[in-house]
Amino acid sequence: MSVEDRPEHAEDVIELLVGQHMLIRDLFAEVQTATGEHRAEAFARLVHLLAVHETAEEEVVHPLARRGIDGGEQVVEDRLHEEREAKEALVRLEGMDLGSEEFDAALALLRDSVLQHAHYEEAYEFRHLRGRYDQDRLETLAAQVRMAEKAAPTHPHPGNETAVKNLTVGPVLAVFDRVRDAMRGGGSQGG
Amino acid sequence: MTFNPLEHRGIPLDRQLRNWRELDVEPIDPDHADPYTRCRIIAMNGIEVEAILFSHQFARNCPSMDVKRQLAEVRYMEQQQQRAVNWLLPGVSSALENTIAYEQVAVDLTAWVARMEPDPYLKQAYEFGVLEDFDHLYRYANLYEMVQHRKAEKIVDGLTEVIPGRPTRYHHRHPHDNVREPYDRNAAAPISKLHALTIMAAEQQTMNYYMNVGPEYMEPIARQLYQEIGLVEEEHVTHYESLVDPGETWWERLVNHEYNECYLYHSFMETESDPRIKAIWELHLDMELEHLRLACDLMREHDGREPEQVLAPELPPPVTFEPNKAYLRELLDTQMDLTTLGAGYVWEAHERFERMQEGIHGGEAPPSDRVVDAHRERFGSDYRLSTEGEHPDPRLREQPSQER
Ligand SMILES: [Fe+2]
Ligand SMILES: [Fe+2]
Ligand SMILES: [Fe+2]
Ligand SMILES: [Fe+2]
Ligand SMILES: [Fe+2]
Ligand SMILES: [Fe+2]
Repeated sequence: MSVEDRPEHAEDVIELLVGQHMLIRDLFAEVQTATGEHRAEAFARLVHLLAVHETAEEEVVHPLARRGIDGGEQVVEDRLHEEREAKEALVRLEGMDLGSEEFDAALALLRDSVLQHAHYEEAYEFRHLRGRYDQDRLETLAAQVRMAEKAAPTHPHPGNETAVKNLTVGPVLAVFDRVRDAMRGGGSQGG
Repeated sequence: MTFNPLEHRGIPLDRQLRNWRELDVEPIDPDHADPYTRCRIIAMNGIEVEAILFSHQFARNCPSMDVKRQLAEVRYMEQQQQRAVNWLLPGVSSALENTIAYEQVAVDLTAWVARMEPDPYLKQAYEFGVLEDFDHLYRYANLYEMVQHRKAEKIVDGLTEVIPGRPTRYHHRHPHDNVREPYDRNAAAPISKLHALTIMAAEQQTMNYYMNVGPEYMEPIARQLYQEIGLVEEEHVTHYESLVDPGETWWERLVNHEYNECYLYHSFMETESDPRIKAIWELHLDMELEHLRLACDLMREHDGREPEQVLAPELPPPVTFEPNKAYLRELLDTQMDLTTLGAGYVWEAHERFERMQEGIHGGEAPPSDRVVDAHRERFGSDYRLSTEGEHPDPRLREQPSQER
């Protein structure tokens, strides 16, 4: 079983997202140790996973937290701020040569802040959600996130190997937009 | 090369104090560090915590103001050492991830000590205990995949197998049966005293860790599993601490503690793969040499004895973290069904054991069984990391899922 399959076992949206935090962590480690084509390919997967993950949080989970937990407004503001910063850092990374020290250093910084961000979400946001929303609701949301994930194109278009070399699932911002469109579309179809 | 810590000068005590900047150590990388570097950090943290707690107990039993003051001063440095060591653990790692690393320490450190221990009764104590922490590793690994959606092999990295040991359900013995006979302080080899102190300290830290982090979890099965295994760690502390001769004087105990700190920092310095961490072991060794010198002076003054009478003439071979897979598999094959009766070991479940089992389980499956059942239900099988073939005990081989 590949690690990518694991969140399929998740039952509700919180478990799904916690599982993705672990995948993100492992993918960062993979990009750091990989070289050449493999690094480009792993980085493309990381960009896609971050797009799916952060978008799902922005569209689905943060609104619940904003309304449902004490101090939710401020907690969510802090998380959104961190997510914006991460997105900007990703955009900067895509302009760099993947084999360069500049890329290594920027990737290490991004990894630290993304992992810290994930920790804050789990500690200050997710753990309060289960007490506030019933299990059915959380499971339905997980299904929505998974559908949107499938609707958003996962990998570079087949036959586009040169594009892979240039790190591509497309420009980072376009990937985020595409995932968001898919998620909004998927959400309305589902509901 | 030989090293006699009594012959080396360390850092004078009045130059050991570190400021906040010096204490602010950079943690190891959670995903790229050598798993055995993390094991050395966890083991050494246990040793420093024991140094601190022992010193407090000594101070509470010590009428001399001068000695109390000296203990307080050395103890403050032990506290700083503990901060510098334990703060090497990265914040990214969850408590459960650290827990799995704690059990990896218990498995590979105890197995190494068992292999090196010359006294057969003491060796048996380590061989008995290691099969239990080996099973804890397996139970926590199943919990880890359920609550954190990650596999324990990311943590142990294939160095330690994660398969069932003596089932945790059977670890709950009557407290009387956890008390072993002590070694004889006049006859025991110096290495035996160091082994007992080391494993006792590691288990004590494990017990303290579980009793404090357990309630931070929200998942009921996680909270319950920490309660259960935390209580087994209480048994382990009882088991290992009773190996130490209570006839040792306070001065002698202090010397043994400081000598053991020298031994372990020296061992880890010799075996460390990360140069940055190696430098910390080296610095702390230089501090411990001075602690040891001061303790030896106290012993000469108050005990009227030469420390050389109780210490080894040179450090034993370095305590080494390395895979113990074949050794553990042999124990799994031969000692699985062992339990304790009084200070000895028996193969049969006796009346007092049965009574304890009835009382603690209350006719239900304990959390350590339920965590594996829940994993099976959810993922179709239990979580294992088996690198050396099928389980030596046919009863503990993977059962095919009922439904299929
Ligand atoms: Fe996020
Ligand atoms: Fe997240
Ligand atoms: Fe120390
Ligand atoms: Fe244990
Ligand atoms: Fe233990
Ligand atoms: Fe010390």
